[in-house]
Amino acid sequence: MKLVDAHKDKVFGMVRRLSGNNQDAEDIMQDTLVKAIDKIDQFRGDASFGTWLYTIALNITRGQFARKKQTELKPIEEYLPGATADGNHSGDEFALFDWKDPHTVLEAGRLRDIIDKATNELPFKYREVFLLRYVEELSVKEIARLTKQTEASAKSRILRARLAMRDMLATTFEAEYGKKVS
Amino acid sequence: MEKKCPDYISNLNDYLDGGVTPELCAEIEAHVGQCKNCQIMVDTLKQTVRLCREGRPEALSPALEAKLAGLLKQHWDKKFGKK
Ligand SMILES: [Zn+2]
Repeated sequence: MKLVDAHKDKVFGMVRRLSGNNQDAEDIMQDTLVKAIDKIDQFRGDASFGTWLYTIALNITRGQFARKKQTELKPIEEYLPGATADGNHSGDEFALFDWKDPHTVLEAGRLRDIIDKATNELPFKYREVFLLRYVEELSVKEIARLTKQTEASAKSRILRARLAMRDMLATTFEAEYGKKVS
Repeated sequence: MEKKCPDYISNLNDYLDGGVTPELCAEIEAHVGQCKNCQIMVDTLKQTVRLCREGRPEALSPALEAKLAGLLKQHWDKKFGKK
């Protein structure tokens, strides 16, 4: 199965990132291969084999995580500190933490752990669109199709996910080195 | 009515990913240029994506590679018969 060999790293990368841990990712990869062989007659070549395998793996991953209870993210306006009904929040006490370049302050491994932890804390329906958009670099249209939602809904989730990620990173960086750069 | 910071937030992703009209782009840039908080918001949103992209490439372990190869062969043979 040279075809599988050619695509398995890319598929595994996606599954590993979305699932956030090795054990689930390994189980999902095994299920993906079994399912791909079972359904090989349905592969008609209107997509590339890689895309077909990727879609099977994504569906299995989604099936596993979408079932879990998901917390909701706060409304987007609340990611701006101190925003009041009239939208005024120019006072210094509401200033966002400017984290500068964390590479200069944090050791690479520590930084990696912070990012992984924040990603895993995103509720799955936000994590999937965020990673598919910005790490897998798929288009909004493609993400909407793969995750079975409208483009408008996918777009809105991607924005909220990005704001939530930013918020989590800002909070952690500020706790880690806020005093050093302010 | 003059727009406030929260009015821009729903457009920030389109702005950062290059999907706003030139007019809205100019309007956002004018606001960000004179609003420290929105400047930080834009910078750190960009960095959020950049940092997440730096993740190590996830590679299959040799053990998993072997397991998958075995599984593949076993199911293939079951479905199509041994050659
Ligand atoms: Zn502003």
